[in-house]
Amino acid sequence: MIIISVGIDIGTTTTQLVISRLTIKNTAPGSSIPRMEITGKEVLYRSEIYFTPLFGHEIVDSEAIAAIVAKEYGKAALTPDKIDTGAVIITGETAKKENAKKIAESMAGLAGDFVVATAGVNLESVLAGKGSGAAAYSKQRHRVTVNIDIGGGTSNIAVFEEGRVIDTACINIGGHLLEFERNGDKITYISEPARAVLRTCALSWQAGDRVDLEELKKIALVMAECVVESATSGNYSELAQELMMTPALTMDYHVQEIMLSGGVADFVYDGFTPISVAQVTRYGDIGPLLGWAVNQVLSSRGIVPERPGETIRATVIGAGTHSVNISGSTITVSETALPMRNITVVSPFSGEIPERPEEIAVRVQHAVQRVINDGSSETVALAMEGPRMITFNAIQNLATGLAGGMAEFIAKDKPLIVVLFKDCAKVLGQTLQLKLGEDVDIVCIDQVEAGEGDYIDIGKPIMGGRVVPVVVKTLVFANNGV
Amino acid sequence: MAMEDTIKLIVEQVLAEINNGHKKPVEIEVQNSGNRTVNTGDTDSGKILPDITEVDLKQQLNVPNPLNSGFYRDMKRTTPARIGVWRSGTRPLTDTILRFRADHATAQDAVLNDVSDEFVEKMNLIKLESACSNKDEFLTRPDLGRKLSAESLELLRKQGTKESDVQIIVVDGLSSTAVETNVPDIYPALMQGLAALNIKNTGSPLFVKYGRVAIMDDIGEELKPKVAVILVGERPGLGTAESLSAYLAYNPRHGMLESERTVFSNIHKGGTPAAEAGAHLAGIIKTVLEKKVSGVALS
Repeated sequence: MIIISVGIDIGTTTTQLVISRLTIKNTAPGSSIPRMEITGKEVLYRSEIYFTPLFGHEIVDSEAIAAIVAKEYGKAALTPDKIDTGAVIITGETAKKENAKKIAESMAGLAGDFVVATAGVNLESVLAGKGSGAAAYSKQRHRVTVNIDIGGGTSNIAVFEEGRVIDTACINIGGHLLEFERNGDKITYISEPARAVLRTCALSWQAGDRVDLEELKKIALVMAECVVESATSGNYSELAQELMMTPALTMDYHVQEIMLSGGVADFVYDGFTPISVAQVTRYGDIGPLLGWAVNQVLSSRGIVPERPGETIRATVIGAGTHSVNISGSTITVSETALPMRNITVVSPFSGEIPERPEEIAVRVQHAVQRVINDGSSETVALAMEGPRMITFNAIQNLATGLAGGMAEFIAKDKPLIVVLFKDCAKVLGQTLQLKLGEDVDIVCIDQVEAGEGDYIDIGKPIMGGRVVPVVVKTLVFANNGV
Repeated sequence: MAMEDTIKLIVEQVLAEINNGHKKPVEIEVQNSGNRTVNTGDTDSGKILPDITEVDLKQQLNVPNPLNSGFYRDMKRTTPARIGVWRSGTRPLTDTILRFRADHATAQDAVLNDVSDEFVEKMNLIKLESACSNKDEFLTRPDLGRKLSAESLELLRKQGTKESDVQIIVVDGLSSTAVETNVPDIYPALMQGLAALNIKNTGSPLFVKYGRVAIMDDIGEELKPKVAVILVGERPGLGTAESLSAYLAYNPRHGMLESERTVFSNIHKGGTPAAEAGAHLAGIIKTVLEKKVSGVALS
């Protein structure tokens, strides 16, 4: 089984697209109950790298984006109906609600039924680290690896252990925060975070000023210090603290390798040497010089960064190949209810699921009410690990409790969506269906990890109805959500 | 033998120490199983020694200072096999050897014990026996394990359901433990699943002592169900003694081919949970009834 997945990354500076082929196979031994997994990921097509079309500095020209996507589909000889899944990731400074909405609208016909506009620095960090190869590296070498994706507006940090993400953070430093005339020395734009950097360096530059290389280097080094600090230590300078967009890394692990990706990373690895202002401003920003500065800061600390598989394309490849997962293969789904997008995940049980159905019902009702009342969502998915011991009795109690707690919700003709981690969705779904009757749409899937505050997309069943594609979106800033 | 003698000596010593004067309770830290502290107390007061088979081998980390603890933990998590168990001098730790012997004993128990009559009664199964007269014969004569005894055949004729859609047969096979552990969960889930799929014509469930998979041929010949489902205890190993398999066949009869049987193995709490397997089986049975084939012809 082959799935064609598209990833579109609309960043502060660049916009790009990749098309990948995901292979899904049954990996269980012949005599066991099938277990479907994504076994192969292959990038079929990489688009050109475009400058993100903007009105001003933050508003994306969504029509121009749609035109880019249409053009690239044409070049890849693909039509929207051939695309099964994927994600549009709007990142960095452009990750604004207005942008996401407009882009989703302008791409409605292009991105298929499946592709979803989304944002959030945490998810971006994870996708970049997966796309750069840091996740795979941490698993192959058994080394805790931190990936720093330095883009135009932000540096996204993700820490991986044995292929799993264990921590993320984001700092508001990137290569496009200071803009210049191309190959010139005149400043054309100073972003807010860049002003903070300038204040620290006691410089009072304004747009229109002319600068010299030594001063620029000094600024780039201060920025680079912040990036390296934020990814490697618990001690931050005042400036780094000010520019952090997320809580700091917890550092309750030992980072063994550092990998850099993003557009700036090319200048870290390629031994870029600044000679003149005109040379460093060839892209009209401070990106190349920031790359040089990061390299300087790393070597002054005796750190030799590991080479990534991808640099500037890391996030988009992560979006195209790593955002989609497959549910367990023994599940219960009402096909007509799917696909569903941006379902709010509610996690009613903090620890173990209570034994008594009445108690389960109360907890569920409570958790769902909270979300419905604040008006943030119409549909909810109940996420849980599953019963401690998966006995037939435990399943009966859970089903009774869920049906009771969701009664009001279901009465409004809404589907009952349950996302479990443990392999028990078939029997639970079946039990729920018996209790609630055939008319209620039930989507009960397993082997998916989702938590309170996440959003989840569930696609139509594939592989003869045995599995569904699932995208779990973890957003750090709830207000960045689409 | 030398190794066994050493163990005996150690066990004797330990027991002696516990019995003599060791009034202060001995505290044993069970590594990484939630940091439980087991109070062994003294045996005289009726307290029980900790059950070493309760420790999850996948989470037991005995290497004292691993170079890469993350990798060690993850490697251990992938398998219940005895890897990364550490050593004392040139030999395994006492703990490792005791656990090995305990697991071996559990496996032997699973094979050699019988499924209890209470269990058969509680599950409301009609109790049959194969042509084997005892466990030894069952283990040495597979051919006899595939046939019903004359009395059982008679009982089946009297009490069995003829021409049902689905006949469920519980068979002890090589692990009575697997049957007693999993059938209480797989059976109701399977029945519930069949009912949900509107398959209601099921035969009175059977139990066969000293039985093997192909006993379904004999029963099929007699009762002529459309589908026979065998729930049989798998040969236990040192990893688990609780694994159950489900074999199902369309039109079970004498002379049927092995390739006509569909099998789902590895049903236990560390594999596919029994309740989930039951729900899954119901769906497979529906397909088998619709397509009127089973085994390789099904896939």
